[in-house]
Amino acid sequence: MITHHPKFELIQLFVNGQLPASLSAAIAIHADMCPKCQQQIALLTEQMAEVSFEEDSLQADLEQSLTTDNDSTADYSTDLTDEETLESLSIDDMVDAITMSDELAQTTVAADKTIIYQNENYVLPKTLSSMTLGKKATIGKLSRTRIQLNENEVRTSLLQIAPGGGVPEHTHKGFELTLLLEGSFHDEKGEYVKGDFIMLDSSVQHHPISKDGCLCYTVANDALHFTQGINKLLNPIGGLIY
Amino acid sequence: MQTNLLSKVTSDKSRYMSDKINHPELCQWLDAVATQRNKQAFTNLFKFFAPKILRIAKTKFPNEAQANEVVQETMTNVWRKAHLFNSDKGAATTWVYTVMRNVTFDMLRKIQGNKEDNLSDDIWPMAESMSSEEESFNDHLENKQLLSVLEELPEAQQEVVKGFYFSEMSQEQLATHLNLPLGTIKSRLRLALAKLRAQLGENS
Ligand SMILES: [Zn+2]
Repeated sequence: MITHHPKFELIQLFVNGQLPASLSAAIAIHADMCPKCQQQIALLTEQMAEVSFEEDSLQADLEQSLTTDNDSTADYSTDLTDEETLESLSIDDMVDAITMSDELAQTTVAADKTIIYQNENYVLPKTLSSMTLGKKATIGKLSRTRIQLNENEVRTSLLQIAPGGGVPEHTHKGFELTLLLEGSFHDEKGEYVKGDFIMLDSSVQHHPISKDGCLCYTVANDALHFTQGINKLLNPIGGLIY
Repeated sequence: MQTNLLSKVTSDKSRYMSDKINHPELCQWLDAVATQRNKQAFTNLFKFFAPKILRIAKTKFPNEAQANEVVQETMTNVWRKAHLFNSDKGAATTWVYTVMRNVTFDMLRKIQGNKEDNLSDDIWPMAESMSSEEESFNDHLENKQLLSVLEELPEAQQEVVKGFYFSEMSQEQLATHLNLPLGTIKSRLRLALAKLRAQLGENS
């Protein structure tokens, strides 16, 4: 059973679209396996929508709270009424342009992407299907493939541990997220299973071992740029991530 | 800051599914766009959503042209993807919010990460939420209110709905299981869903 879930703050940023793709994908994959988080996401999305599209002070609060995070918007005003804002948009032209084409968006479901590590064949979550994978690197019982998301210091990978393998004891200066896609592993703190979303910050030192093998999706950053670790990450617009 | 905002929001959910927004009307317009490609309905949606989207986009993008692009892109997707809107699943506002969020996410990624990979559809799949109607319906069914609505359906329709949504049987399997023609299963399911939809529409 899944016992490790993303923190509430992360889920909220996910719903708002304020997390980098690496962490957004992790939460999406976790939620696909976790009805509890799925429900929370649905509820938060509904609430965010309501807050965003209703026209009272709450709307203003929201905008103000978002604006205070982003200095660059200070130079143009957002306190117009709907009518005033509409005047600045040429509705008829826009509507005409949009409705000119009657084409419906084609929704194609991508074929399953699989990856093989040390004779083990894994089907990757659909969330990852458009992402570009780098070359495989294998050292002993550890195999790693970078996922090329171009997020600067934030590095995203697939990590496979063959049965009986483990990651040597380490600490991380920034944060390290491990999402178990298949199999299980354990460390000093306990056992982790498929779907577990394990977010560690710099204070944690650990040594995961997988008895029967596992495949993980991992996201880690470089401490140099994120001296406040996870807290810095949670500031959605502040850093290099966003 | 975020937490403050949210605690306000979560403090009373029903208060915010409020009378401030005419949900049934928005829903009708979106359905009219989906089923009849109704341009007037789309214009109504545009007038309601576009200014709000623009204001939100202005808080996220450094220049007005980009904020306008969010409006253009979001409303284009509303027009082109309206058939993916499923009123069983939630309010029209929620659906448009996700469309806007996805457009914004892809645009920010393009500007900041210089990547045009448009990952939002994989992270927040819209097509899937359509095709896995069963799943989303299961979530709804956890809601007691909905369960009580379900209990009010005629026995024959309940049987089909429960078989389809709880036991995840296909319509074909249900036909075999209940020893009924497939057409009967289909029409019962359709009738039941129409009733549930009407009930839920009133409640939301
Ligand atoms: Zn969870």
